[in-house]
Order: sequence, then structure tokens, then C-alpha cells
Amino acid sequence: MTRAEGTTPGHLGFLTVLEHEQLGLVGGYLILNAAGRPLEFHCTAPVKPNRAQQILFGPTLPAYLYGEQIGQTLLGKGSQTPVAVFTDVERVLTVRDFVELPVALVLPGEVPEGEQSKPIVASANNWRVEAPNCLGSHLAQFVAGRNRLAVSASRSADRDTILGRLEEIAAFDLAEPFERIREAVEEAQKGGRVDQAA
Amino acid sequence: MSIAPGDLPRVTSWTEGLASPPEVVTSRVMGSDAQPSLLTPFAVEMQPSASLTSLRFDGTLASSISVPIMPPKLKVLSYSFGITGAWRNQIPKAPVDAQQPPAILPPPATSDAAAKVRTRIQPPGEVIKLADRLFYVLQPSLEAMIGDSALQFPAHPFPYQFEGIAFLYPRYSAILADEMGLGKTMQAITAVRLLLHAGEAERVLLVCPKPLVTNWQREFAHWAPELPVTAIEGDAGRRRWQWQQTDMPVKIANYEALARDREVISDLGLEFDLVVLDEAQRIKNRSSATSQSVRGLTRKRSWALTGTPVENSPQDLVGIFEFLAPGYLKDEMKPRKMGRAVADYVLRRTKDKVLTDLPPKMFRDAEIELSPAQRISYELAEKEGVVQLTQMGDEVTIQHVFELVLRLKQICNFDPATGDSAKFERLAADLDEVAASGRKALVFSQWVGSLETMAGKLKHLHPLLYHGGVAPKHRDDILDQFKRDKKHNVLLLSYGAGGVGLNLQFSEYVFLFDRWWNPAVEDQAVNRAHRIGAAGPVTVTRFIATGTIEQRIDQILREKREIFDSIFSDVEPTGKSGLTQSEIFGLFKLRSPSGPIEVAA
Repeated sequence: MTRAEGTTPGHLGFLTVLEHEQLGLVGGYLILNAAGRPLEFHCTAPVKPNRAQQILFGPTLPAYLYGEQIGQTLLGKGSQTPVAVFTDVERVLTVRDFVELPVALVLPGEVPEGEQSKPIVASANNWRVEAPNCLGSHLAQFVAGRNRLAVSASRSADRDTILGRLEEIAAFDLAEPFERIREAVEEAQKGGRVDQAA
Repeated sequence: MSIAPGDLPRVTSWTEGLASPPEVVTSRVMGSDAQPSLLTPFAVEMQPSASLTSLRFDGTLASSISVPIMPPKLKVLSYSFGITGAWRNQIPKAPVDAQQPPAILPPPATSDAAAKVRTRIQPPGEVIKLADRLFYVLQPSLEAMIGDSALQFPAHPFPYQFEGIAFLYPRYSAILADEMGLGKTMQAITAVRLLLHAGEAERVLLVCPKPLVTNWQREFAHWAPELPVTAIEGDAGRRRWQWQQTDMPVKIANYEALARDREVISDLGLEFDLVVLDEAQRIKNRSSATSQSVRGLTRKRSWALTGTPVENSPQDLVGIFEFLAPGYLKDEMKPRKMGRAVADYVLRRTKDKVLTDLPPKMFRDAEIELSPAQRISYELAEKEGVVQLTQMGDEVTIQHVFELVLRLKQICNFDPATGDSAKFERLAADLDEVAASGRKALVFSQWVGSLETMAGKLKHLHPLLYHGGVAPKHRDDILDQFKRDKKHNVLLLSYGAGGVGLNLQFSEYVFLFDRWWNPAVEDQAVNRAHRIGAAGPVTVTRFIATGTIEQRIDQILREKREIFDSIFSDVEPTGKSGLTQSEIFGLFKLRSPSGPIEVAA
């Protein structure tokens, strides 16, 4: 398991998995410093489950691919340990079973300015949980600064850890780095094709 | 699922009459503790004879399917980006208090849509390595960088300025060719600032015309107050010491000083991460000392700033590219092909496209009949001049023709015999009106003599003079006086000294008392007033003495604009363009050898 010790203050991890119609799944992991500048970027080659995997893993296949195979591999490649890992793909939350880092799902839509302070003022033990029908009862939603986040209900301690690092993340638009990852994966794919052509 | 070698069906035999013949041979799967099952039954047919029959069940008869479930090794591409400079230890003091703006938030915008605009840095085609390309792709948006609490900005840049910064930042060779007044200075300074803060550059040299050195210093202090900047000036010893300074990441030198200090720079082995040329049209002539001195600088990045990358002919652009990417452009390239070739290197925006809020610029051509005295002097001079040129036969040069052109243009300004000037009478009337309405006006002329004559006749308007004869140390004071003192309604400028780099957007009237050789220089002059911050519409009056050389030159100026359009826009050239030697001679219906003219700048 990836260690939680030795995290670097202000460093944040962003992990996502992109679905490509032909190529399959591509994972991307970006570590940013406090100023939002890139420190590390890791991306996988495309992953496409074969027929046997589809049969044998059945409904557990997505969790296996997103969390164990792609997520765990990418987080293991990071030479710096962020204070938390954020994802914009719910299935990636399963990576939490393999790492000792808090992992949170970034939900779309910024928190209106007037509401930002409410969960911040509240203690970590008094966070807001959205209606279960929003995301399913297996997720717990809360607000951190300008961002709406969710963690696995079974990992509720992650919420406390993240809110405990609020000063480091409150300023970030946590949804924005995923846009960079998507562009970088596209660029890497293009680069790969060029290399192959050459 | 698999069958281990030890678990293969065993050989079984029996003899008829035995009490319990085997019915089923079982096979165990996956582990020694598995219980026998009926997954793989083997039925044994009993023979009627009494002979002993032995059947062997070896592994080849067993049917098995192997499905590997070990995860394959996933290939991962990894990139690390070294962060140096101020970014390394920078942890924003993000306030928990929601009342305070967070560090990474973009600045306030006027609408939700505008607030979500993010200008991203795109790697240019010249950046080849994937790691380098990813470095730029993964940078935060410029709005986020600029919203960073560590970088204070005195004003929020326009969206097109963000695009300009994003254009410059990743490029090793670039021309920012925005129309005058769009803020090339600010965009360049901000791009330099971001490079320095990111640790991507540590030694930056900015080269500009001498009169603009103080302007650049002022602009750096305004847009990047934390950057140490030094201007290379003074005697040779002082300049040598300044060149050697290592604690000044930004050095500003004028073109002349750079040419003088070529050997010093070479001796010291100076290398720069970035060299920025302001008014880069200065190096269009490849054989000039100016061009050679800037091309001789050792550097990683080369940027050129100019509102007029093509003044006379496409070869001007070739000259600038000799600094950016030697050999990339060829003289013989067609304008449209050249336009395609430079597309990734040149960013050109015009005010009408990006500054829809900028007040309009209105042109009016004041066609003036010469006074009778002027007309007599003019016709006499032209007649004598043409006769002289004709008599010179094959010895006539382009310089002789220019001398005649200049003499005639001077007569169009003021009659040397009587001092008459139909143009001035019209100008004086217009300026009285400008002054009466409390406005300010700029008057441009090619000749210091004409400017001084006008100053003498306009004393009641308290005009100020700004030309090459004014000592540089007094120039800023003059501009400041003109800006602040309401009694000074008129600034008389020469094209050479006042045409570039000045911010005079508080002036609403511009008069071009005589015409320059190329439209780009006139545009530069006009845009001293028509630029960001202009309070109201700018009215430009172009004086043209009818039936004179000025009218003929005006026609050529119009044609020269077409060259520019053919390179920097999709507009097809509509006709013959460029000022050729034949055309210059043709001003007087003289025969000439063919070939380009090089002194018409």
C-alpha cells in the first residue's frame, strides 16, 4: 500500500481514468504544488479488459480496473506523496482500498460563495451529508472551501483528514486540474502515435 | 482454473468379476484439499470378454481451460517537472475566511461566463519533446497564475492579452505583432515575469530604441515591481560593469549601445535565456550593424515585438526572422506562402477585432490647395528638378530623386520664399478649435524645421516640441507637462522621435502635417493617441496638398498597405504593391532601371 507518511504540505494529487471508445481506459495522475504548478505526471497505456476478465470479474470488473489496476499503479509511481488524492470518477474511489491516502470525489458545481463558510466553520465532526439519493448511500458528500466533495461512506475518516488540511485546499478549484490531465493524456497519445509512426 | 500435474486422472484397471468395478474416475482441481467431484467424469465401458483390459488416462485426454487472472503489468509514462525559483517554497496563505479571495481564484469578472474563461498555454509546434510539451499543457491557466497572491497585478489584463502572454510564454521564437496600442509591452513583461518566476529564465535582455528605455523601465516597475531591472547606459566602463551584473535578471539596452558593446558582450561570454527586441523592425535590414549585433547574441529564446513586421516589403519579415530562426524564411517566398510559414510564430491582432470597446478612430483627408505663392515655388522647383535629373542621364540615382521629393514636400509645408502655408492655415484653425474645447492634439511632421516654424506661429496655444533635437533627459518632462498642464494643448512631434512607444492616449486629435514614406510609421504615430485608455474617439487628419508629390505618394502608401494584408490576413492582394525604384522614378515620369529600392524606409 502507498504510504501516507511523509506527505508534502500543499501538494495535491489528482487521479482520473478516461474512457476511450477504441483504446479503452487510460489513467492519469497529476501532482501539483500549492501554487497549482505541476510537479509530476503519470499516465498509463490504454487498458482494455479481455473477454475472460469480463466473465470472471463480472460486476466487479470496473472497480478492479479503475481502482486496483490503474489507480493503485499510478499512485505507486508518485515520488512525492500528496496530502490527499482527488478524482472526478466515482469508480476510482475504490483505489482507497489499496492506499493509505485520503481519496475524495470532486463533484461538479462550485459551492456558492455564501455557502462556502458553513461547513468550514462547522467542526470536522459536524459535516453535512447530502441526501442519499444524490449519489447513493455508499457515498458521503461534504463541502470543503469552494468544492463539493464525497468520500466512501466506509472511509469517513478521510473526510476529517481532508477538512483538517482545509487551508491547503480551500483555495483550489479542485475540478480544474482534471482538464489539464485530459489534455495531457491527449498530448501523450498524440506523441505516442508520432513516435510509432517514426 | 487449472489442473496440476499431480492431479491428472490416474491409470485405473480391473478384471471382470471383481466385486466393485470402478464407475467413475475423478479428478481433483486446484489444491490438494479439494474434494473429488463429478466435474470430469470418465465412463469406462465394460467388455464382454474375460480378457484383461487396461486403459490409460493420461493428461492429453483431460480437457482443461487455463485462464490467467494475474493482472498484466501496466505500462506507465512518468514525467517530473523541476520547479525552481519562487515557486518552490511558495505556499499560498489561503484564507479560510470566505470573505477573502483565495489565491488561485481568477480575478473578479463581469459575468459568470467570463469568470470561467481559462487561458491555457499551448505548446507550439517548435517544442518537440513530449516531456516539454506536457510541461506546458499541465500548467495552470494564466488567470490562475495571475490570480496568485504572490504576483500582484495593477490591473486585470484583457482576454486577448492573456492569449498574447500564453502565446509568448512557451515559445523560443516568436513575434508579437499586435497593432500599436494593444499592450505589447505589458504582455511581454508579464510573459518575462512568469518565466522568471517559474525558473525557466534567469537572464533576460530587452533591446529597444534609446528613447524608449525609460518607458520600459517605467512599465517594468508598473507590471512587475518585484523584478530587479537595470538599464545599460553611461560610459564604456560603466556599461561593462552593468553587463557583468549577475543580480539583475532583466537588463535593458538600446540598439546603439548593444552595437557598441558587441565586443564586450563577446569577451564576457554573456549568454541570455531570453532576448526581446522592441520595435523589431529596426533589424529588417540584415546587413546593418544593429541586425548583426542582435543576431550575435548567445540566447535560448528570441522574441520580437513590433506592430509593423512588414513596412515596405516581405523581405522586412525575412530580416526579422534572421534573428528568430535564421534561414527559415527566404526572400523569394510569395507573401501568402510566407504567411502560412510564419503562422505558428507570429501573433497579430488588430484593435477592431479585440478592442470592441475602444473608441473609434476617424480619418479625414484634408486636401489642401497650395497658396498661390507656394504653387509658384512648387512648380518652379519641380520643373527645375526634373530638368536637372533628366540632364544627369545615366548618372541619376535614387538619392537624387529623393532629394527632389524632399524639397517639394518642404514647399508643400511652407513656402521657403514667403513662409506661406495653406496647410498651416487649416491646421491653425483646427487647433484653435481643439484648444477651445479643452482637448489635446498631436501634430506630426517629418522636419524639425517645420515643427519649429509651427511652434513659433502657435505661441498662444503654448505648444510643446518633441523631436530628435530634444535632449533625452528632458523628454519625459515634456510628456508629463503636456499630460498634466491644461494650458498645453498641442504637442509637435517628429515621426522619428515621437512615433514609437509613447502613451499619449489622452489626446483626441492627431494631425499628420506631412506624409511619411510608409503607412506603418504613420500608423505608429496615430496610435500614440488611439490606444488602450483612450478617453474618446480619435480624429486623424491627414494633410495632402492636391496636385503635388504628396498626392502621388499617398497613392503609393495605399498600395503598400496591401502587402501587409497579403501576409497577415486572408485578404488577397488586390493589385500591384510595394514601392519599387521604377515607381519612385515614375513620380516624375522618369525612366529608371528596375529593381527594389532600399532607402524608402
